[in-house]
Amino acid sequence: MTFRKISIACSFTTFGLYAVLILSLFYFFQGDKLVDTLLSERTLFSVRLSVAAATISTVFSILIALPAAFALSRYEFPGKTAVDTMLELPMIVSPAALGAMLLIFFNNPLGLWIQDHGAQFVFTFYGIVLAQFITICGVSTRLIKAAMDEIPSRYEAVARTLGASPGKAFLTITLPLSRRGIIAASILSWAKALGEFGATITIAGSMAMKTETLPIAIFMRLSSAEIEGTVILILILVSMGLSILYIVRSLSKGSSYA
Amino acid sequence: MLEVTNLSARAGIFVLSNVSLNVLPSSCHVILGPTGSGKTLLLESVIGLRNPQAGKVILEGKEITCLPMERRGLSYVPQDLALFPHMTVRENILYPIRIRGGKQDIENGIVRELVDSLGINHLLDRSVRNLSGGERQRTALARAVASGCNYLILDEPLSALHESLKKELWYLLKDLQRRYDLAILMVTHDLEEAFFLGDTVSVILDGKVCQQGTTDYVYQHPASLDVAGFLGIRNLFHVRTERVTRDSLQAYCEDLGATLKFPRSTLKSGSAETSSFAVGIRSEDVAILMPGESKPDLTNIIEGSIQDIFENGAFLTLLVTIRSSSTSLEAALPRVTANKLGLSRGIPIFLHLPEESLFLVVRGSPDRLR
Repeated sequence: MTFRKISIACSFTTFGLYAVLILSLFYFFQGDKLVDTLLSERTLFSVRLSVAAATISTVFSILIALPAAFALSRYEFPGKTAVDTMLELPMIVSPAALGAMLLIFFNNPLGLWIQDHGAQFVFTFYGIVLAQFITICGVSTRLIKAAMDEIPSRYEAVARTLGASPGKAFLTITLPLSRRGIIAASILSWAKALGEFGATITIAGSMAMKTETLPIAIFMRLSSAEIEGTVILILILVSMGLSILYIVRSLSKGSSYA
Repeated sequence: MLEVTNLSARAGIFVLSNVSLNVLPSSCHVILGPTGSGKTLLLESVIGLRNPQAGKVILEGKEITCLPMERRGLSYVPQDLALFPHMTVRENILYPIRIRGGKQDIENGIVRELVDSLGINHLLDRSVRNLSGGERQRTALARAVASGCNYLILDEPLSALHESLKKELWYLLKDLQRRYDLAILMVTHDLEEAFFLGDTVSVILDGKVCQQGTTDYVYQHPASLDVAGFLGIRNLFHVRTERVTRDSLQAYCEDLGATLKFPRSTLKSGSAETSSFAVGIRSEDVAILMPGESKPDLTNIIEGSIQDIFENGAFLTLLVTIRSSSTSLEAALPRVTANKLGLSRGIPIFLHLPEESLFLVVRGSPDRLR
């Protein structure tokens, strides 16, 4: 067997693993329950809550990731390596640990002060948004930085000698050139936020019709041995996720300007 | 005038030391040097892309060393041109005008004239990603000139082009310079390009300026063996002074086995006492005389035989072995002349090294003699 064939076989094995998992859902799939489950108030609430929280956390993360990624991509500054390394924290620390860290923070004097004088995060919608934001912020920054790294900084240098201020060079050159990368990063971050479970359940709990996001709803239905409902919710999540990944793939085509 | 005074900069372990140069209004100053000599680092320090460690950049009497790039009044064209790939040709050219909030109408004024003179009218609505090398060049030059800066900083902008297109753009650049009264500071490693476009030149080797002057002067009087070597002069020999008179200097060249005579003016001031020099002559300045050909009153005649003949386009390059030593001397002559003389390998010939074509380099001389 040639190396080419072995490598292709491995790629199909990976595909097969996930495909089998998805297909196995249909063993417990009951079509007659599909409409009821989909249209139930609890499911619709979970979908709405998940979409709203993921959208808000993605907007906040992109707003901070854009300038942060530009700084990491273009400038040398003290502590850059530390900042760059910290971006990986959500990837190396388990989501549950990340959620526990948030919970512990809000039981510290500073956290308590914020809860007393600002918004309540523990067991609330804001907690869901914060948990998702903490989980995706590093990823968004990393993905946008990768997109900006592809754009030679000479474009900005030339724009500046032609009269553009650093801000104008960023808005007229860097931002449009990395547009596809930024959109792809936003969608991937949104998808990751949508599927976030560990940190969310740790800080926001699993209160039905209050903090029950789609992944938490799946967990709760599974806990109560409601397999058919769980399957339908998983299929909703898988469909949303795969559609998003398809959009990202389409956007990524021909994005290089380097 | 653009003045660079004692500028030093560092990139990693590479150091650019104490560079000073002037670019006069409406003139072209070329920074000539091999790859890795610090040319681009110098340009980047001048435009403000890098912070110099020391030195000043002064534009028309105003120090701009610490000014941000957009306020320096220097328009930069990098080696890869950096045309904005998400814009059309028109948008690229209009960029410097739009970014300053200027009038956007390309049909009027300087931009229209510029586009016409560069012959890119038909390309205006095309994406820059679909342009040929020459079209990209013209667009980059149009954009730089449209910025309204009178000082262009060009970093080997023609290096990626083939010979005929490159030469076409030399003329175009000269025309642009005259038409818009531009001062140009450009970097190149191409000798022909440097001497064609430049009014003045700085030869930079290993981060140091080794010689400066008019292109004509530098071409004819390389200041050091390193500069002569970089300028492609292979005929470099050591000589020892025998006699210095008011009008001339005689020096013995062991490599050529002959005493050579030079005009006294060949010596730089203050170097008359030095007894050891290197002498050089360009291969195209060496004259060929056939045995039996009369050579009345000619000095600096050397006997040798043709070791090899190399084709070099319109010229032939002869490698001549000197009779009294094993040294080789290079001579270049037009193919037509060579054919008339019936030259071939092994035949004896005489070489005439005209006094006025010889140049002297003081051995161990300081980096800059002028």
